[in-house]
Amino acid sequence: MTLDDSSISKKIFYDSWQNNFFKFSVIFFIFICLLAFIYPEISEIKAEKMNIKSKFLPPIFFEGFSWTHILGTDQLGRDMLMRCLVGLRFSLIIGFASVFIMLLFGCLVGIISGFKSSWVDVIIMRITDAQLSIPMVILAISILGVSRPNLASIILVLALSGWPLYARVSRSMALIERDKEYVRGARILGANDFRIIFFLVVPIILPPIAFVSVLDIARMMIFEAILGFLGLGVQPPTPTFGNIIADARKYLINAWWIATMPGVFLVITLVTLNYIGSTLEKSKNKIFGEGI
Amino acid sequence: MHLAGQFVRRILQGVVVVLITTFLIFSILRIVPGDPVRLIVGGMAPDNLVEEIAQKMGLRDPIPVQFGRYLSQVVQGDLGNSYQRPKNGMMGQGGDFNANMDVEMAEVSDLILERLPYTLQLAGLALLISLIISFPLGISAGLKPKGFISKIAFFISSVFVSIPNFWLGIVLALFITIKLGLLPSIGYQNFAYTILPAIVLAVETCPFIIRTISVSFAEISQEYFIKSGKVRGLTRNGVIYRHTLRNASIPLLNLLGIQLSTLLGGVIVVEYIFDYPGLGQLTIYAVLQRDFPLIQGIAMVTSALYVGLNIAVDLITYSIDPRLES
Repeated sequence: MTLDDSSISKKIFYDSWQNNFFKFSVIFFIFICLLAFIYPEISEIKAEKMNIKSKFLPPIFFEGFSWTHILGTDQLGRDMLMRCLVGLRFSLIIGFASVFIMLLFGCLVGIISGFKSSWVDVIIMRITDAQLSIPMVILAISILGVSRPNLASIILVLALSGWPLYARVSRSMALIERDKEYVRGARILGANDFRIIFFLVVPIILPPIAFVSVLDIARMMIFEAILGFLGLGVQPPTPTFGNIIADARKYLINAWWIATMPGVFLVITLVTLNYIGSTLEKSKNKIFGEGI
Repeated sequence: MHLAGQFVRRILQGVVVVLITTFLIFSILRIVPGDPVRLIVGGMAPDNLVEEIAQKMGLRDPIPVQFGRYLSQVVQGDLGNSYQRPKNGMMGQGGDFNANMDVEMAEVSDLILERLPYTLQLAGLALLISLIISFPLGISAGLKPKGFISKIAFFISSVFVSIPNFWLGIVLALFITIKLGLLPSIGYQNFAYTILPAIVLAVETCPFIIRTISVSFAEISQEYFIKSGKVRGLTRNGVIYRHTLRNASIPLLNLLGIQLSTLLGGVIVVEYIFDYPGLGQLTIYAVLQRDFPLIQGIAMVTSALYVGLNIAVDLITYSIDPRLES
């Protein structure tokens, strides 16, 4: 690959941008993000504010609704829209941060492993095998199950459980790049491993993997919700999708919207994100081939 | 023979992987705070008693020593006894601190074997449902990448992959069990209790399978030997069923091997929501109760399953397409 990194990224993004539905998804996703981060701050309704008088209000257009609470209220009279938005905020932070960390760490380990091809490589690859052979959930709940989980520990645990795939993909790409002429050329010119890896190989390997990792953000957001549901996410009273739904199971028969609305909210966001991710992936495959 | 040598090498590698997995889980459990002895003897027990029992159980030795002891047990076929679950099936009540110590604890291997059939039944039904949905969609999407069904397949995959399994479980329980009363959902009494959890799992796995099938069909239908089928006078369907299907099954088998741990992860969550008495539910409670021997046993069995399945998949793959052997 003789292209430099910015033109690869631009090409992939430009190719996706031709798709009208992709444009719509990107704009819609940015809108949702802004809504999640700004609206709860400027609105008078607070996510943690309880109001027993207006508990169990249904969403609009159902019998007995109120215009102040579009998505209804929960068992303590807290506004569902606000709770969903704050939950989405944490979900987005955790999704983006954990994928960012696992991408950087996994690729770094993978590229070094591919370049060294010695006992380091063997050990790293067996560790990834071992980690891929047990479900992420077991690993995550073993670590989070004891301490009171907070934002940082959740992000780290998710990153820890997701890095092996990145390591393997980037390793196999590094093995191909290692024998290319530009690397040999640079070596003859006196560049050391550090320089070759960070200035020549990383800029070529990272962008295509980064585009595909958009799909992983959605996966991690689901995973965050699962952890929250098991009681191992960000702790109440801070609302997250997982803990809202877990609490609402008790009221499923009389107040169905408390458990279902956050899920609808999450699914809409994730469909958008997944559509963006898979369109980028398709464009990447068109330009790069089915390499990774 | 070449194949036999490779087979032995794969098995040895597999054993190493299982050992590393077990060691990782073993150390993580002991490094992360959370004392199982405290949970065994109960919150009211004095600290010196906790310390004494922990010493007696060997939990204060260095981790490599403990691991060596555990391995020598495992080699003799003994996965140890649960910390929390007595043999007669009654759960102890944590509060009274010497009550649990006298009861004989259930063997880990028994606990796992007891639950395994339920999980296999669930996973098998889920796989069957997702194959039934994915095959028609995947094949037609692969053969006509620009067609209408291809768009539907893409849409369905995007939506399915975005649905959190626990939420879908709750929604299905709400509509199908509570509102319509069609299928039961909580616990297990007969086969009907498997259906809803299996649907949730199938929705989770569908996107991967549709994608794999459509990609491999799109690739293979471009191959020379498929195109030549037309020249040989075979009908389109004849070509698909006699040649394409067989070749497209290779990536599908590989997917099954790679995705096994994802599938099992889904099983854990789904079994927890539906209170389904399988391995997944056992795992969640084992972790939350810090039942070390049980978690280690489950992790070891899971990873051995993964390794074994992957080796089996490779062997089947070679017999389908001998070119891949090199």
